[in-house]
Amino acid sequence: MEPKEVDWGKLTSIIDKYSNEKWGLIPLLQDIQETFGYIPPESINLIANAMKLFPTEVQGVISFYAGFSLKPKGKYVLRICRGTACHVKGGRSILRLAKRELALDEGETTSDYQFTLETTACLGACALAPAMMVNRAYFGKLSPPKITNILVEYGKEKKEKLKDVRDEED
Amino acid sequence: MEDITLSINGRNITCPPGTSILDAAEQHGIELPKLCYHRDLKPFGACRLCLVEDEKTGRIMASCVTPVAQDMSILTESPRVNKHRRNIVRLMIAEHPESCIFCSKGNRCQLRQIAAKLGIGETNLYPMPNYKPLEQANPFIIRDLSKCILCGKCIRADHELVVVGAIDYNLRGFKSRPATLHDLGLEYSDCTFCGTCVSMCPTGALSPKNTRYVGTPQRESLSICGFCGVGCSLAMGVVDEKIVEVNPSHLSGTVNGASLCVRGHFAHDFLNAGERLLSPLIRKDGELVSASWGETLEVVARRLLEIKRENGPQNVAFLGSSKCTNEENYLFQKIARVVLETNNVDNGGYVSGQSLLNLIDEKTDGRYRIQPLARLEKEDAIFVIGADPNHSVPVVSYYLKKAAKKGIPLIVADPRRTELVDFSSIWLRVFPGSDLELINALAMLLYRKKAYASDFIIQFTEGFDVYRRGLSSLDLDRISRVTSIDVSTIEEVAELLHGKKIAFMVGHGILQQRYGRESLDAVINLLLMTGSLGHEGAGLYILARENNQSGARDMGAVPYGLPGGQSLSNDLARRQWERVWQVKISPDQGLNMVRMIEEAEKGNLKALYIMGENPLRSLPQPERVRSALEKLDFVVVQDIFANETAEIADVVLPGAAFCEKGGSFTNMEGRIQTFTPVVVPPGDAKPDWEILALLAEKMGYSKHYGSLERVKEEIIGSVPMYADPGGHGYTPWIRETSEKALFRPNGKGDLIPFSPVISTEDEVPDDVYPLTAILGSYRYHLGSGTRTSRSKRIQEFDSKGEIEISPGDGTKLNLHDGDTVRVISRYGVVTRRIRLEDGLRAGLIYVPVAFNDNDARNLIDLAQLSRHDSLGWKTCRVKLEKV
Repeated sequence: MEPKEVDWGKLTSIIDKYSNEKWGLIPLLQDIQETFGYIPPESINLIANAMKLFPTEVQGVISFYAGFSLKPKGKYVLRICRGTACHVKGGRSILRLAKRELALDEGETTSDYQFTLETTACLGACALAPAMMVNRAYFGKLSPPKITNILVEYGKEKKEKLKDVRDEED
Repeated sequence: MEDITLSINGRNITCPPGTSILDAAEQHGIELPKLCYHRDLKPFGACRLCLVEDEKTGRIMASCVTPVAQDMSILTESPRVNKHRRNIVRLMIAEHPESCIFCSKGNRCQLRQIAAKLGIGETNLYPMPNYKPLEQANPFIIRDLSKCILCGKCIRADHELVVVGAIDYNLRGFKSRPATLHDLGLEYSDCTFCGTCVSMCPTGALSPKNTRYVGTPQRESLSICGFCGVGCSLAMGVVDEKIVEVNPSHLSGTVNGASLCVRGHFAHDFLNAGERLLSPLIRKDGELVSASWGETLEVVARRLLEIKRENGPQNVAFLGSSKCTNEENYLFQKIARVVLETNNVDNGGYVSGQSLLNLIDEKTDGRYRIQPLARLEKEDAIFVIGADPNHSVPVVSYYLKKAAKKGIPLIVADPRRTELVDFSSIWLRVFPGSDLELINALAMLLYRKKAYASDFIIQFTEGFDVYRRGLSSLDLDRISRVTSIDVSTIEEVAELLHGKKIAFMVGHGILQQRYGRESLDAVINLLLMTGSLGHEGAGLYILARENNQSGARDMGAVPYGLPGGQSLSNDLARRQWERVWQVKISPDQGLNMVRMIEEAEKGNLKALYIMGENPLRSLPQPERVRSALEKLDFVVVQDIFANETAEIADVVLPGAAFCEKGGSFTNMEGRIQTFTPVVVPPGDAKPDWEILALLAEKMGYSKHYGSLERVKEEIIGSVPMYADPGGHGYTPWIRETSEKALFRPNGKGDLIPFSPVISTEDEVPDDVYPLTAILGSYRYHLGSGTRTSRSKRIQEFDSKGEIEISPGDGTKLNLHDGDTVRVISRYGVVTRRIRLEDGLRAGLIYVPVAFNDNDARNLIDLAQLSRHDSLGWKTCRVKLEKV
């Protein structure tokens, strides 16, 4: 898998934005996570310098929160619910299918950085079980054909379509 | 605010508000179990073992992080508290590997002690040890994080005491562990291997890597570290009369507190090195052979007296040691001055520019020495110049970094981007040797801003008019050019210093440079102008590279002075010592360390007695030094190692290391620290004071020093500076007296003169040797490395002292990390690997000393002493060749 290129210009401009802010570390990390889909490990030293912290302190914060990742993630992050309701409604086979379709294990990312497969304890959408999220969009009452369709849709990279879905959910 | 009254276990207690319940209890003799608490760290509340219950509310709380409140009724051992406490320990043990039988923490493990106290043997819980791979790639620290209980002491020690930040918590929940950046090995992190975390770790998660013994020492005794001038208080663990472990002592109020550095913690294994001298040696038919003490001392006494009689006392010289005790230095110079009637006595501190301090002595009449490092956290502004304390005197850097973290302005003037730069308010990237110009420029700008202490200047100083005229003639643009610092940056610093009292920290970048004397003058001028000298929490901190540099000077082991910091040219002082010793003392200065070599070369010196020094390794131009020493008729070396110099001696006397004898050292702050032997010297070796006492007796000196006490008594009785003997856990400071008005209670007395403003000569471009090499030290070695290079751990550590080169020069010369180069100066060559270092300016290279038999000394010239006493050994012109 090719290591992901980091746009250093963009990264430093984000860091500069927060460097004079007190308690700016977490908003800064969120911004980077949002922009890059992960926090490049090489950026820890820059962040630490700007925030006048030790690099290990910054790493400690990143690794504490599940919302931050030091590994590059795919463009689309699938989070398949493993809550009780989804389990009863066949969530396991949904996960199995997603794994097979994407040829990924939990926590892995495709080599073209398109998809990352994750599981989550509960999405809180039990009425829609079995459910999953792709980035910020929810998908409920899943069935194997529906999964395949959703993946094909994202696989085709229909950007406008994706935007629509997101808007609906927001 | 009013004091708070509460009851703890039924006892009524009054304490100030803000006190934690834990402190209140312990101050009244009520002990609580605890694993994450340490008196030098901020309370943290991680282990929850110090739980207590408030009877009134039924609340259970961690006493270390809960402040006392009015009318609390605290129970520390109630059934509920005990139940919870036991459960916490049971859970910790369930997660802990059952490896106590071969854990080097053994019975010192605090988890085990607490479990034992609470009567927990079996936990009756399902064991779920959290196995982590053992990490022991470096030769200093073993990390077995399966034994970690997440008390966070190591992390807090790293952040709060040592201020390095090499580790912090990583991940969350069961996976959480202290980790370095990217969870790499310690050797790839910022870790300085100070070992502070190792001493603090309550369990076996962190332990020192020992090569020859694993387990609990049989006993522990206190001593004072024998490496740098900080003089850390040590607790040395002993097994079978060998030192196997070193930790910071548990005494309060010590200079190092709970911290140490890599040398103090880990390099003391040099004591057990194979090259220790075990018996006296005499050269017979060209070979050094073992002999008895009686025979050897007889030879030394006879030969020295013969040479004195035949060639005169000026043909005998004594080179003492800045590592030996005050008592030994006193006896040493006494033998020289009284028995052999010569002032030819110096000590190894000369190599690090200590003779320059004479200048400050003259100016202040001896009042500048007491400078407790703890005061650094209360300064107005700190100016570090020509010093890299993170490497040379690490514990000093802890104080500086703590001060900077508190928000005290820290200005660092150094050609290199030292680790301290990350903590500084402003970094002045001054060109080597131009510090003097920089200080003058700052003085000029402050003068222009009228930021000078007029009352102070009028009352305590003289010569300000000449000084300020000198300042006004300075050309800021020229200064900016020679120092290679922008005018605006200099102005920024002047603005920062405006109206502040300044604490200067001066290191070997000044003491060893060509303009050492003039730079010190400039610093003192600035201190006088701002009224900082003599001001509580400002003034002058001079770094001392070796443990007893200050003491050796105070005891008169210098060619220009007498014990008590008195000058030879002072008739009154000389007469007083003539009375005490019942001899005639010449007012003429003796030979200093370099002049001894030069006179030996010329044949004007016949005998040299060297105690605890290794000039063949520490002085420049070793071949020249060797041939000079070989010309001598008689060389005595008294040392702990069969070192380079001992190999060419006529007589070798085995001395004792600091922990094998008693005595006292004076540290760079001015504390006189007394210590007693921890172990006995190996083989037939003897404490150095004893050797000197026996020698004096053999030479027919009437006074017999049967015990160390008799030497101490003589010092206490005759050196007012050392009149306070201390002892019983109490450490006295030197006593300073001064005739200067500034230091007299009534404010009347002599004035302190300003020195005239002097400029440096412009650097002449050198086409043959276009680069400037800076010689400096790394934390893994001390001085020339005679001792540290014999430490197994330091040997194993993969640091070969790579030469630092700027990326610019790297590109120009097509050099990459790891390439080998030849560094060539007019005097010699050093061949070593290189490392490209962003913090260096093009045109400069950095050559670490002490590595590779201290070959860096080949580059410099022995006698660049044309300018007063300034050594000029800090830098030299060189060229590079790729190998």
